[in-house]
Amino acid sequence: MSDWSYWAVQTLNGLQLSMLLFLLSVGLTVIFGLLHFVNLAHGALYALGAYIGISAATATGSYWAGFAAAPVVVALTGILLYLGLMKRMRRAGPMNQVLVTLGLIFVFVDIFRLVWGDIAIGTVEPALFTGRSELFGVVYPTYRLFIIGLGALVMAVLALVLSRTQLGAMIRAGVDNDQMAACLGVNVEKIFFLVFCVGCALAGLAGAVAAPVFSAHPDMGTEILISTLIVVVVGGMGSLRGAIAGSFLVGFAQTFGTVLLPHVASLLIYALLALVLVFRPTGLFPARA
Amino acid sequence: MFRQSLLKTLTVLAILAAAIAYTFTTGYFGKELVIEAATLAILAISLDMIAGYGGMISLCHGAIFGVGAYTYAGLTVLFEVNPFLAFAAAIVVSAAFAFAVGAVTARTHGIFFIMATLAFGQMAYVLVFENKALGGDDGLAGVPRLDVSPLGLDFNNSVQFALFAVAAAALSYAAAAWVLRSGFGRTLVGIRVNEARMKAVGLTVWRTKAIAFAISGALAGLGGAIAAQQTMFVSPELMAWMVSGTVLMVVIFGGIGTLVGPIVGAVVWVFLKHEISSATPYWHIVAGTVLIITIVAGGRGLYGQIEYMVERRRLKRLAAAGVPSTATGREDETHA
Repeated sequence: MSDWSYWAVQTLNGLQLSMLLFLLSVGLTVIFGLLHFVNLAHGALYALGAYIGISAATATGSYWAGFAAAPVVVALTGILLYLGLMKRMRRAGPMNQVLVTLGLIFVFVDIFRLVWGDIAIGTVEPALFTGRSELFGVVYPTYRLFIIGLGALVMAVLALVLSRTQLGAMIRAGVDNDQMAACLGVNVEKIFFLVFCVGCALAGLAGAVAAPVFSAHPDMGTEILISTLIVVVVGGMGSLRGAIAGSFLVGFAQTFGTVLLPHVASLLIYALLALVLVFRPTGLFPARA
Repeated sequence: MFRQSLLKTLTVLAILAAAIAYTFTTGYFGKELVIEAATLAILAISLDMIAGYGGMISLCHGAIFGVGAYTYAGLTVLFEVNPFLAFAAAIVVSAAFAFAVGAVTARTHGIFFIMATLAFGQMAYVLVFENKALGGDDGLAGVPRLDVSPLGLDFNNSVQFALFAVAAAALSYAAAAWVLRSGFGRTLVGIRVNEARMKAVGLTVWRTKAIAFAISGALAGLGGAIAAQQTMFVSPELMAWMVSGTVLMVVIFGGIGTLVGPIVGAVVWVFLKHEISSATPYWHIVAGTVLIITIVAGGRGLYGQIEYMVERRRLKRLAAAGVPSTATGREDETHA
């Protein structure tokens, strides 16, 4: 493999990780921004998406059944959590929210172990995207290209909705100043709820998409949670731009860190987080200045 | 504000007496549980000092605990330093690490503070995990216990070591209570209640926060150095962020901002975990549910709820006797 194609593959790896992180963090960041809610259980929802995706794919024999079922089931789970628990924690302050959702992580991890067992389970890629693709002499797994494409698509759709539609304007108004938006006739509660559902669905989608690459295991949500939180905090809470910038920073720092500085790679993203917090305590692109 | 009430004194003495009695009557495994509860109590007291009274929810206390354990283990195993010196060094190094974290994160608040402490804790974890000299992810084995033979004692005897751990926990409580009762402790509570006002009256807020972190870190390091001696082994798992999360859960479960609550929480936690784990492998689902119920029920915790009820009765009695409420030492405190 030539030197050029090696770096091209690493760049694609970075892109793929960034897109996965983006799918996870965009929901989390808008929930932070709109609801001021710290949801540590977001990672558990991602793991749930992976498990549902695998189970649905095994039951029907089609990858796409899991791809469709995961976001729906995870969003429904999110709705249950929201109505049962999170709604009453809305005004309880970040510490109580951190703790309640930390408790949820514990519960979810054991539910995964109860239902799907302790051992990691995998699934197959969809027939449409199996094998490898070759472009300009660079060979890369097709399924990973699909992840990159899907992430870019979601990014584009969200950017369009947020910047060009009335719904997007209402969401931005809610993030900026929820009380003022409510005074101007925006049904902020309804928007909150909608955003929460979409955020959960995207976490489920990310899980289903990630399942063939990284097999599903009970701790997968806890493992990705920290990276996702770093994306959100580095990017600045509540903004799409922040989630995009944060995903790319963390995704590439992690990928190239592993290649270039294997011993301190995992240190890199924490150092990035610490630097941003110390010098820009609200992140790079906070929704509210 | 911290007040060493009669209820606090009685509860601490009762737990102390129970721990000593249990140590003498139980078997080997029971003594291990006593030591585990004592080290967890030290760590929980240390976290409650800054989280409950200073309003700083730290997610790096597991890492500080690990720094203490690794300093003790590294010095004794790799450099064959006298265990007593290593013990003192563990406390000093943990305090220094905590001071640095406290100083750097002093400007951040709320979720950003939680994330910043998480970042520093994880950095310490990764550094230890990747450090081959410290054994990497295998950890360090063969950690010696303190050599107390000149005193005619032997810490390899599990009764004596368990009593040592219990005594250390009791001393940690006394030290934390002493700090919180001092002017410094009141300043710390002042920062939690109204940081802007403390700044306005001329306080260097970051320094107070960093010193509070250092004192708390010294206690956490003490707990770590004892934990390293208990298992005679240290591994990076001591420093993982879920350890910090667990300690926070213990503090909440017992009652944050009460100083006694964390001890109650640690004892109940260790013994409950042992009982449930022997019946089912799904201990976490119980722990998570208990935590969620504690928060939804008002977040006062086991001991905190009792103290709240006792305190409310005392205030009612005082009010009935015509004592103005300002003289009762009560203020509007919230743990936001």
